[in-house]
Amino acid sequence: MFPVAIEEYRRPKTLVEARLALDGYDPDDIVLLAGGQSVMQAIKARMVRPRCIVDLQDLAELRGMSRADGLTIGALTRYVEIAEDTGLTGGYAALRDAAQHVGDRQVRNRGTIGGSVCWNYVASCLPAVVLGLGATVDLLAVDGKSRQIAIDDFLIGPLETARRPDEFLVSLHLPKLGAGSGSAYRKWGLVTDALPVVGVCVLITLASDGKIAAARVSLSGLAAGAQRAQAAEFILTGSDGGDAAITAAFAEAAGAADAQADKWADSAYRRQLIRTLGREVAETALQRARAGSTGAKP
Amino acid sequence: MKTITLTVNGTAYQETVAPRLLLVDLIRERLALTGTHVSCTYEGACGACTVLLDGDAVKSCMMLAVQADGHSITTVEGLAVDGQLTPLQQAFKEEHGLQCGFCTPGILMNMTDFLKKNPRPTDAEIRHGLIGNLCRCTGYINIVKAVRAAARAAAAQTGGQ
Repeated sequence: MFPVAIEEYRRPKTLVEARLALDGYDPDDIVLLAGGQSVMQAIKARMVRPRCIVDLQDLAELRGMSRADGLTIGALTRYVEIAEDTGLTGGYAALRDAAQHVGDRQVRNRGTIGGSVCWNYVASCLPAVVLGLGATVDLLAVDGKSRQIAIDDFLIGPLETARRPDEFLVSLHLPKLGAGSGSAYRKWGLVTDALPVVGVCVLITLASDGKIAAARVSLSGLAAGAQRAQAAEFILTGSDGGDAAITAAFAEAAGAADAQADKWADSAYRRQLIRTLGREVAETALQRARAGSTGAKP
Repeated sequence: MKTITLTVNGTAYQETVAPRLLLVDLIRERLALTGTHVSCTYEGACGACTVLLDGDAVKSCMMLAVQADGHSITTVEGLAVDGQLTPLQQAFKEEHGLQCGFCTPGILMNMTDFLKKNPRPTDAEIRHGLIGNLCRCTGYINIVKAVRAAARAAAAQTGGQ
């Protein structure tokens, strides 16, 4: 595995410089490089053959997390920073669940949430998690115009997003998820912390009477890419979050899923994973939501 | 071609490289620091090429050399000072934490970073920390023992528990 010749390497220091850094090449010949833990694999395997690489590592504006009016996560925030942020509890806890088990330490030390979401690989965790948490994506184009779009509209399909070649992903914004919200994510892979064969993310917000006021459920590992499981959301919403509702929700999600068969798992096994993981994840999300609403430590 | 400057094991280097050159190849072929190994075919699968990038364990086959411009790298050659092994290296020697030894440099680099961030790890945490390093001799039992021993030795030295 070794890349084809790369004509040019550019490392802009500011977003203004970054906009200029896309000049002179056809957009299809440019790769924007964040942590590189996925895209470098594709470049070394020569599936991606960039003539120009624009390395984003110096763009301080794309780093770090802030908690004004929800949670804003800079595109270059690394998995390790999310994994170690003990403040990510309640509704945001799914981010840690996912980031703590991406690949291995070395990958988590380099890989970024923005890179993962823009690459939007089928067997990846963060696209499904930010979909499950209802993120908004902040994009900046070379002409200086920015736009914010819902993650549901951003994630189009495997390796495809609504990001235009002349746009940078600046950050992901998560809505304010206060006490009474809880989320969780879990995946199953062939070995510990491997790519997900199936992963499930659940976000639950409780009403004052303890019933589920709102639920979002998303799945990773299916051939069509990260996706909502709206059948499960429909059953969970308004329910008491009891065994019967959770079982019914994920039976419905498994039944509705277009679960592919491949050498890692056949369709029936993928559906079983949706039922089993879904149940565990929903229960964890509920526990976290209840802990938050009673003031206990989630 | 692009001229980059980087610090490797405390020595400043200026190198003119093709943008496609991988960091591991710069380290091995240009700087002749062959302690950093390549065990898989640059797939990021084995972890033998793990180095410290500004203190963080990363796989040097997963980076272009140009990305390391302006950064500080530590390879396995940079651990021992004047022939004095680090407590982690000493523990690998005493606990026989290696068989053929090919994966050892990457494991030492990863665990150097790991113990710095988690000086009192449980065995489960050590095993979780080792996921990115393959030992094809399957010598993990002694590798875990060695990391545990290094953590204890460091704790004894600082008087903590």
